[in-house]
Amino acid sequence: MSEAIVTVAGDAPVLPRSESVFRRLMRTPSAAIAVVVVLILVIMTFGAPLVSPYSPNVSDFDQLFAPPSWNHLFGTDELGRDLFTRLLYGGRTSLIVAVAATVIAMVVGVAWGFVAAFREGWVGELLMRIADMLMAVPVIFLGLVLVAAFGASLWSLIVILGLLFAPATARLARSTLLVELRSEYYVSAVSVGASGTRIVARELFPNALPVLIARASLILAEAIFVEASLSFVGLGIQPPDTSWGTLLQQGYSNLYRSYSYPLFPGFVILVAVLALNALGDNLQKVLDPSRS
Amino acid sequence: MSRYVAKRLVSSIALLFLSTIIIFLLMRVIPGDPTITKLGGSIKEVDEATLTQIRSDLGLDKSIPEQYVTWISGIVRGDFGNSYFSQFSVTTLIGQRVGATLLLALMAMIIGLAIAVPASVAGAIWPNRYLNAVLSAFAAIGIAIPTFVIGIALIITIGVELDVLPTQGYVSFQRDPLNSVKSTLLPAFTLGIGVAAVTMRILRASLVEIGSASFVRTARGKGLLRSQVVVRHELPNASIPAITQAGIIVAHLVGGAVIVEYVFARPGLGTLLVDSVFQRDYAVLQTLVLATAAAFIVTSLVVDVLLGFVDPRLRVEAVS
Repeated sequence: MSEAIVTVAGDAPVLPRSESVFRRLMRTPSAAIAVVVVLILVIMTFGAPLVSPYSPNVSDFDQLFAPPSWNHLFGTDELGRDLFTRLLYGGRTSLIVAVAATVIAMVVGVAWGFVAAFREGWVGELLMRIADMLMAVPVIFLGLVLVAAFGASLWSLIVILGLLFAPATARLARSTLLVELRSEYYVSAVSVGASGTRIVARELFPNALPVLIARASLILAEAIFVEASLSFVGLGIQPPDTSWGTLLQQGYSNLYRSYSYPLFPGFVILVAVLALNALGDNLQKVLDPSRS
Repeated sequence: MSRYVAKRLVSSIALLFLSTIIIFLLMRVIPGDPTITKLGGSIKEVDEATLTQIRSDLGLDKSIPEQYVTWISGIVRGDFGNSYFSQFSVTTLIGQRVGATLLLALMAMIIGLAIAVPASVAGAIWPNRYLNAVLSAFAAIGIAIPTFVIGIALIITIGVELDVLPTQGYVSFQRDPLNSVKSTLLPAFTLGIGVAAVTMRILRASLVEIGSASFVRTARGKGLLRSQVVVRHELPNASIPAITQAGIIVAHLVGGAVIVEYVFARPGLGTLLVDSVFQRDYAVLQTLVLATAAAFIVTSLVVDVLLGFVDPRLRVEAVS
């Protein structure tokens, strides 16, 4: 009996809303463009062999630093490899790192924020003070210090980026949850005797989710940017692995031989960051109109 | 007023002291033996006696509290210890490079404000749809565009093709002020665009909010020109929230400076930071982290004191 009431209160509004969210999103031109750009980037990087006839690692010594042409859309690099192809394959690393880091940031941040919201005494206060302190430090700066500590392998980079964005997520998760804790559905769930786990998992979390999803899109953008920055100064992804950041780095060191070499990786990073930022901003407006 | 300033000063010093403890512990938790740095990674071929010697030279054989006291008493005397990697003291290394970073930050700040303030004011004076759309787009792109993209584009166009400004290195300001500023122009502009975008976002939001205040309606009602209302009445009040958020702008400056210095090969604190990470030079690293923490604490102190002058309500609240 009590379960029936709780389920209706929690599940009923979620399903129809999630369907209309996409439609409402696509009505805004900037959001629609962002969705299309993100989809194109994902499809092209992960379907790279279908998009490009070249291999990312095969050299053509007759074509060193070739300018952009129909054969080589973005030109070639210092070993005559097709830059467009290398950006597609390198994008896989960048996107995988960004997604994995975002997942870590969300899991750690949400747990952090929820604990802080439930334990409002000195525990919550301490958790939030730590989050504030970490957020005051510029992300690149903290990232460099963590790379000094844990090294610059692919896995440590994912964990480092995840930890970098956890404090901001924690702050958002806490403030969102504090609003939900004052809601009537929460009070009724408690009063019908639902268990703590059940309330968090089936009531509070689904209601906090829209805000968190919008934030995840913004974190993805920032993770791509920070990965590129760290790789650019040589402290991120290490060659021979490639990412958008390492390609940018290699292009930058060959700047005087080919202008297009550093510009295209930079342009791709810019497009990805702008699209994910626009997507996040618009998601926030659609999913949670009260905040914007 | 003096009581308010004294109170903020005491809490800032306490915060700075707390951050020295955190930074110190953080550096001891980091995996990896600093003696490896000193020996250039060849620790296995060194006999035990040399290792002990180096540990005691660096003071690493003492207990953690003892090491902390040595470190903190050195800081008070202005001695930040010696670099693990080079033979120089940390003070010397930072002294050599602080000028390049300070000039960059100062010029980027000036360029950023010189773009953001007039643009925000223009947006408020002429509520033209297209003008404001352009300004919003500039702020959105300016925040998102990575500094390395602007930097590389500027190097190619202005540095190499037009060949009017130097793209690499830094000329000391004491030696040659004119060329020093010239060598800083491109990096400062690169960094300044981001600063302008962040400032514009904050300033424009608070200008919109102030626009509906009753004192603004009064000013309009007594027949002032729209430009007079904005410049004399709205801007001073709207700048209070902008000053409050100076920390965000400083964070943008510090974070951006690391990449910008790398792009333009400037011998500044940002490149020193990258080098010390490469070399695992924890002595330099912990000093740079402490310096950054100090910069933020001082910024928030200055902001609070400034706001106390501007808004008397704040200092009454803080003291009582």
